[in-house]
Amino acid sequence: MSDPIIEARGIQKYYGDYHALKQVSLSVAAGEFLALVGPSGCGKTSLLKILAGFEAPSGGTLTIQGQDMAGVPAAGRPTRMVFQKLALFPHKTVAENIAFPLTVARRPADAIRAAVTEMLEMMHLKEAYLHRYPHELSGGEQQRVALARAMVSKPPVLLLDEPMSALDARLKKSLQAELKHLHRNVGTSFVHVTHDLEEAMMLADRICVMRAGEVVQIGSPHDIYYRPAEAFVAGFIGDTNLLPAQLTREGEGWRFDCPLLKTERPFIGPDQAAANLSDGPGLLMIRPELLRILSPADAAECVIEGVVSEHFVRGGSVQYRVQAKGAVIVLDLPGTMVLPARNGDPVRLGCARSDLFAMRG
Amino acid sequence: MRKRGLIDFLLPASVVVVLVFFYIPIATLVLFSFTSSRFLSWPIPGFSLRWYGELLADRNFWAALTNSAVLAAVATVLATTLGILGAFAWMRWRFRCQRAFQVLTFAPLLFPQLLLGVVMLLWFSVLAGWLNTSPGLWSAVIGHVVYITPFAIVIVSVQMYGFDTSLEQAAEDAGASRWQVLSQVTLPLLWPGIFSALIFAFLLSWGNFYITYSLSGSARTLPTYVFSGIAVGSSPIYPALATLTFAPALVLIVIVDVMRRRAARRRAGA
Amino acid sequence: MAEPRSWRDGAVRLTTLPLIAIFGAFFLVPLVMTAVLSFQGTQYYRLVWTWDLKIWRDVFSQWHYWSIMLRTLSMACICTALCILIALPVAYALVTRLKDWADHVTLLIVFAFLTDAVLKTFGWVLFLDRSGVLNGMLEGLGFGKAALDVLFSPFATMIGMVYSLLPYAIFTIALSMARIDRDLVLAAYDSGASRWRTLREVTLPLARPGIVAGAVLVFVLSLGVFLEPRVMGGGTSPMAAELIRQSFETRVNWPLGAALTLVVIVIGALSLALFGGLALGAGRRARA
Repeated sequence: MSDPIIEARGIQKYYGDYHALKQVSLSVAAGEFLALVGPSGCGKTSLLKILAGFEAPSGGTLTIQGQDMAGVPAAGRPTRMVFQKLALFPHKTVAENIAFPLTVARRPADAIRAAVTEMLEMMHLKEAYLHRYPHELSGGEQQRVALARAMVSKPPVLLLDEPMSALDARLKKSLQAELKHLHRNVGTSFVHVTHDLEEAMMLADRICVMRAGEVVQIGSPHDIYYRPAEAFVAGFIGDTNLLPAQLTREGEGWRFDCPLLKTERPFIGPDQAAANLSDGPGLLMIRPELLRILSPADAAECVIEGVVSEHFVRGGSVQYRVQAKGAVIVLDLPGTMVLPARNGDPVRLGCARSDLFAMRG
Repeated sequence: MRKRGLIDFLLPASVVVVLVFFYIPIATLVLFSFTSSRFLSWPIPGFSLRWYGELLADRNFWAALTNSAVLAAVATVLATTLGILGAFAWMRWRFRCQRAFQVLTFAPLLFPQLLLGVVMLLWFSVLAGWLNTSPGLWSAVIGHVVYITPFAIVIVSVQMYGFDTSLEQAAEDAGASRWQVLSQVTLPLLWPGIFSALIFAFLLSWGNFYITYSLSGSARTLPTYVFSGIAVGSSPIYPALATLTFAPALVLIVIVDVMRRRAARRRAGA
Repeated sequence: MAEPRSWRDGAVRLTTLPLIAIFGAFFLVPLVMTAVLSFQGTQYYRLVWTWDLKIWRDVFSQWHYWSIMLRTLSMACICTALCILIALPVAYALVTRLKDWADHVTLLIVFAFLTDAVLKTFGWVLFLDRSGVLNGMLEGLGFGKAALDVLFSPFATMIGMVYSLLPYAIFTIALSMARIDRDLVLAAYDSGASRWRTLREVTLPLARPGIVAGAVLVFVLSLGVFLEPRVMGGGTSPMAAELIRQSFETRVNWPLGAALTLVVIVIGALSLALFGGLALGAGRRARA
């Protein structure tokens, strides 16, 4: 990782008695796309506002491009923000909106015109829109204008505050793709706040999951999905199976004792357990797509026995729900012309030991 | 569909009746301004513009017109400026004793104007004694400002209600200085409200009788000119004066309305 | 939206201090002055600093003052009742029935409201006069000469008062009715309530803060009317403002004028406190 462009250490924020951010530390590399994810009230927006300079932290230090940001107002920071409700100036035309950061910096008129034209191209906006007012554009177009305004002065850091939360699903998908594309082209660091982990996984290089004012985990989308630090993170996206187990450290790795899971060698490697795991009761996670249904002849490293209670065809995949000793196990199978099992069938489910991941209960 | 009852007729009818009621004296004045007779009795014997001529030839009228214009212009600018400040203090922040501040700056609106004028007259007479002068246009200006500022605060506050502060943050984020945020974003967005406040303040001051009557000393404005005129004896020059002042006032009010609607459309669309 | 700030904040000071200075110096101080003056006396048209209760004893012991105050109060009550009764259907119609026209109607009312009050009362005089437009038209219809001789009577004063204060009632009531959630009204219809019942059980209770506020505003302002009783009532039924005027102008008795002014202000403030609290309470319940 190259030198961090944003370095936050022990950031605290109190609103009166309410402790909104508790010792948050994180760094963002130059050119990185970082997503801040968490349920509403987790502090992600407060953190973004502190980065932008709209709120002062109650404690901790923040440096951006190696400079301490204490006392530096929003206008003096190398960051630009895309607001949740876009905050396009309703009394200014599209051209005036995009040019605004350059106008207030008193750049020469021809430089401004050139920059606006460049932005127009980059955001796939029509030339004809320049003299319209924001309310005359569609939601997606307004979004692009807001991005263009934020990017026109080529800021080193772009902050995005859930700018897509108001859009319908289809438009959201296409804008997400464009945003990703834009990020690759410009080399600006993006910090993107969202409550939608799926969106974060699609866009970000790294994801920072927050809960109740604390960072729970920072990692790549793959790590967040397959190596969650806690059940909270595991349950944040998609379906998952969390099996109660007794965990004991053994050498480098861990030994597990899970009544649901039959296996010859109940051991997992050191990279298959959350960093904060300790001896005692814990959880073993298996993602639904890592399980399969075994035919009587098949064998697997780990086996779960149960009875199919329900199944749903979901387009390209089929989801099964299997009752196993009072627990419900979920598995996703690729769709097939002939289904491997029906409701009420006894089944044996199998997976590899390397597909297991252990965390604290 | 619901059956159309008596009430469907009565409700719109009540609006029409009230409108007619509001315009009875105004229409009467316009009618009589064109009479050819010296006497204001119905029916008017013929059509003539002679009273407009007589009005324009009256030097007292011109003096009153000048006084009204000066008084209204100064009071409008001061009251609207204070109204903008007050609206910020009312709407944008919470601070200690804000309630008391709101009561203080709203109370004159709840005062019968004559009493407001009388109470201020007492004080101005004392002040004038100290300063060795006498109440005149200057004290009327202050009286108008105290009476009109609460209206201006309310009008600007209405525009400020629901103001999206993220627009200001966006400007700040784009590198705008405090002054640039104010002049390029905040004030332009509040402009419809400020403009309405200006027009309202002007018309309130222009048409004000009670406070001017109490505070202007020997200086006469149009309302006090008319009042002292009709006390002596009615003349068709007063309906003529009324008709002359109605037209520009109506134009101003229509402009305010057009601006307000355009701003509302923009806000709804964005 | 409102952000907490301290008095040390520059913007708070900039926006509040000029207003505090002006309203303090030219509104609060004069009020205190008035109170102080009411304890002084006059001799040969000059103010004497006596610091006694003589004026107040006069004010409360003379039937003349009592009768004018009582007349003022009863006129104010009648005016308030009339304004509310007229404003209710008008505001309701503006908000619910005449949506497309409401803006234009409002504009017309605002224009009439902002027009010079002296001219408007003079217009009424010309209309109601024995030889005015009204009687001229009635004569044309065969009612005979001066069929309705109402000018220079308390009735004419009342017309003038309602005329100048009605806009306050219409606007406050319309404002509170416009803020009622339309779904609440639809829910009442949906539960099978008749229109009359919906009006009585949903719309009117929810509009109560506006109705009370409009009533208080009209009442307080009608305590101080001067033009209408003087010009339209012809001085036949002087009200408090006329009395106050006289004590300052004709009798040059400032302490008396100050005391009478205070009486009116106290009546106004008491009704404000009483009904203002009522309106606030109703508003709070409506929001809860």
